[in-house]
Order: sequence, then C-alpha cells, then structure tokens
Amino acid sequence: MELMLKGFGEVVKTVTLRVRRYDPEKKELPKYMEYKVPVQRGMTVLDGILYIKEHIDPSLAARYSCRMGICGSCAMIINNRERLACQTQILDLGKDLIKVDPMGNYDLVKDLVPDLTKLFRNHESIKPYIIRQEEKVTGEFLQLPEERELYSMFTECIMCGACLSACPTMATDELYLGPQALAQSFRYIADSRDIGFNERLNLLDSKHGVWRCHFAGACSDVCPKGIDPALAIQLLKGMLAKNVFVKYQQKPAKIGPDRKSILETAQS
Amino acid sequence: MKESKIMLIQYITGIFILVLGALHFLAISALAPTSDKVLYQYANNSTSTHTLTGGTLYYTTVTTIYHTLFWGSIFELLLTFLVFHIFNGFRIILSEQFPGDRSEKAITYIMLVAGLIIFIWGSKTVVTMLLGGGL
Amino acid sequence: MAIENKKGWIFWFNPLKYSSDKWLYALHRLTGIALGLYLMAHVFETSRILDGPITWNSTMVFLDWPFGVHFGPYILSGILLAATFHALNGLRLTITESGLLMPKPYRIEYPYKAKSLRGWNMVLKILLGIFMIIISIFGIVYIFTGVIL
Repeated sequence: MELMLKGFGEVVKTVTLRVRRYDPEKKELPKYMEYKVPVQRGMTVLDGILYIKEHIDPSLAARYSCRMGICGSCAMIINNRERLACQTQILDLGKDLIKVDPMGNYDLVKDLVPDLTKLFRNHESIKPYIIRQEEKVTGEFLQLPEERELYSMFTECIMCGACLSACPTMATDELYLGPQALAQSFRYIADSRDIGFNERLNLLDSKHGVWRCHFAGACSDVCPKGIDPALAIQLLKGMLAKNVFVKYQQKPAKIGPDRKSILETAQS
Repeated sequence: MKESKIMLIQYITGIFILVLGALHFLAISALAPTSDKVLYQYANNSTSTHTLTGGTLYYTTVTTIYHTLFWGSIFELLLTFLVFHIFNGFRIILSEQFPGDRSEKAITYIMLVAGLIIFIWGSKTVVTMLLGGGL
Repeated sequence: MAIENKKGWIFWFNPLKYSSDKWLYALHRLTGIALGLYLMAHVFETSRILDGPITWNSTMVFLDWPFGVHFGPYILSGILLAATFHALNGLRLTITESGLLMPKPYRIEYPYKAKSLRGWNMVLKILLGIFMIIISIFGIVYIFTGVIL
C-alpha cells in the first residue's frame, strides 16, 4: 500500500499546455496561449485545465461535469486527436508540450466549448425511440438476451461528439448526419422491438445519409467508450443495399402480459 | 434516383472497371499484336529527335487493336463504366465540399454534362476506329 | 457569437493520428481525383489517333519524352500505382461496406479496440499491400524495360 502511494501528490514535471483561445466578445480570431502546469502523478488534462483556471487565467472556458468519463462533456482535441480530457493522463501522453484544441466541425462558443446543437439535432432527426404500430401498449415488449446483443454496444453512447469531430466527411459537409446519429439509427433498427425501418429510410438513404460515409474509421478509432460507429454504418449500408432488391422485413416483438393479469395469476 | 441505387451502381461499375481496366492494360502490353512487347521502339541512329519505329504504342499496332471488334467493345464498355464511376465520384466529392440543395443540383447537372461530353468524345474515337477509321 | 470551426477539405487528406483506414481513405480520394483527371487527358490523347499516324506517333513520343526529358515511364508508373491502389482498395471497400466480413455487434471490452477496423478488414488490408507490391513490381519492370516477367 505504501509503495503505491509513494510519490503521490509530488510534482513530477512541468508541462506546457498550448490552449486555443477564442473570445466571442472580442473581434479576434482564435489564437494559442501557453501555460506552464506542474504535473502530479494521476493528473489528467482536465485537471491541468482546471489548474490554469484556478491559478493562472480564470477566463479560460471549458465544459466539464463528471470528471470520470461518463457525462461526455469534456471531449476536445488533445495532441491532434479527439479524447475526453478527463480520461487522458498527462504523463501517459509522454510529451512536454500538450496542444489542446476545441473539437472541430462544430461551431465554437468560447475557448474550448463547442456548440453541440448539430449533434443533438441530428440525433433527434433519426427518431431515437422505439416505433410501434399499437396505439395502446398494455405490457412490456419481450426480448431475448441474444436479440439485445445485436445492438447493446450502441446504447453505450455518451454523446460526447468526438466522432463527429474526427469524421472527414463532417469536416466539410455540415448536412451529413454524422456517425453518432447513424449508429443510433442502427441501434433502433436492429432492436427487435422496433418496426421503424421504413420511417427512417428516407433520411438514411438521402444525399447526406449513410452513403456519405466512406469508411475512414476515424469515428471508431477515437470513440472514448469503445463503441464502433463505423461498424453500425457499414451494417446499415448492407441493409440498405439489400433493401433495393428485397424489402427489409421487421417483425415486431411480442407484447408480454399486462400488469393486471400478472397480479391475478400471482394471487391465484 | 435514390442514393442507395446510385451507390450500388457505383460499386458494380467499379468491379467491372477492375476487370476491363486490367484487360485494357493487357491490350497494349502482353496481348498486343507485336512480337516484341516493348512500349516504345526508337530508331537507333536518332539521338536528339526521337522517331518511333515500333512498339505496342506504334500507330499500326494501336490501329490493329482498335479495329478488332473484341477490343473495341471492351474499350467502349470501359469508357461507359468509367464515365459513370468518375463523374459520380466527383459529384460525391464536390457535394461534400459544397453541401446544400442549390449547389448540389448545380453540381449534379454540371457533372452530367461533363460526363456526356467525355463519353461522346471517347466514343467517337472508339467507334470511328472500329468502323475502319484511321489511315 | 459562435464562429464556425470546420476542419475543411484539407482534413480529408490528413490521416495523422488516426487508424490505417484513414490513410487508405485519404489515398483513395487522392488517387480517385487524379485518375478522374487522367481519364479526361487520356480521352483527349487517344482521340489524336483519328488525325493519322504522324500526329499519333509524335504525340506518343511527346508523352514518352515530354520537353526532351525521358519522364514518360515515371508518369505511366504513377498511373499504374494509383489505378492499382484505387482498384484494390475499392474492392476492399465494396466488400466491407456491404456489411460482408464485418463482425457482428459485440460486447465492448477494455482496452477499446474497434473490431470493424481489425479482423477480416485487417486481413483485406494486408492482402491489399501484398497485391500492391506484386503488381507494382511486375508493372514497373514492364514499363521501364518492356520485359514481361
């Protein structure tokens, strides 16, 4: 135990954080500012940014919340690659100069804060909910564990938006749906309880839908939660290509017994 | 046309181009109607001004290839597939650079016209040669 | 006021810090544009055959020795390499993008390694490299010496 705590809290070395600053109130283009940050063992880039905020320059703006890689607020470009600032150890990067940029392909609000409106609008547009024909649902939809395996990985998305920033199509095409929305649409189409393939088809098959993905794999590469959006998009393409010849069929999952009948059987 | 159909044609033409393009390379190399398969054969005495005396790209060799119905039809098919594949590719690249309804419509029409021009121009060469053109 | 922060088209051709698929994407796009422009030049160049043997032969000599420099074989090799790469990578994309040889959605495990970029896709990438080397050796030797191996 003592061995593990040895060196904890000690300043190991000093690194330079080169942060891109942009102030919307001043009519200036974004510029880089350098800050010297003493690094302790276990210090993340987000900790470094907070150190700057507390000790050097309080005007630095960054978005963060949970500090443990769950909320997906602090995605930024660290040393030219999209990462969650709260999950990136400064010592792991192994560099004395760390370049911190706000995520690209989004509008920039201030310093390191991107405007994620596009991400949420795109996510909303693919109808991220289960679509059913029944007007009134009495019981739960039944699903086997194997059926859940087919989409469970995509439910892990924390919507940090790193994939949209890494996507080369997104770099120019602002109308593109983006890896996040496409992976989520696969998540709902592959869900055995859902029958909304045809409702989502028009959007997915549009000029800025799945076919604008050229499988650069950058989204899967940078995803901080290990989700594979590129896989979802390729599987969607396969579905859409087959749909040209044979119409894609979705069988809605059966509905289980309603609460009242469960209670009655339990009582009897 | 739906984007998925266009992209399916893009993939299928791509595979055909791979086969026909390989044949096209072979037509002027391994399968060329010459004894020596070298691309250029120059006259030995000339040093400053080059005069072509043979090779697979020599005029008579190339006209012989063009006059064969087999190669003529392969070139024509290859041209058709290539024009679609290339100008659809350009359309995709340009519409990713300039997204928007109006700009994409303009890009589509420009690519259609440019593709037609290249297609007609190339077909003119292949068809006139196939009908016994050339000197 | 928020400003636009798009990475721009230059990012298409910037594969640094990303996986090998991004390299192939950048090269595929680059070779695609180059080959598309080459087709237009090629259609113009081959149409010269209608003008008779003198024009054709002098065009061919000009293409082999542009401005008195023996540069033709290098151009041809470049076209061959670009076409081979575009064809083989296009074949790989046709297979993977139609969902074939892609893994089934799997359970995420640390350390996060995207399986769509590995597995069969990696096999295809290695095959692409092997075929690239074989074809370019055969092609470049032929272009420079006229010997068919």
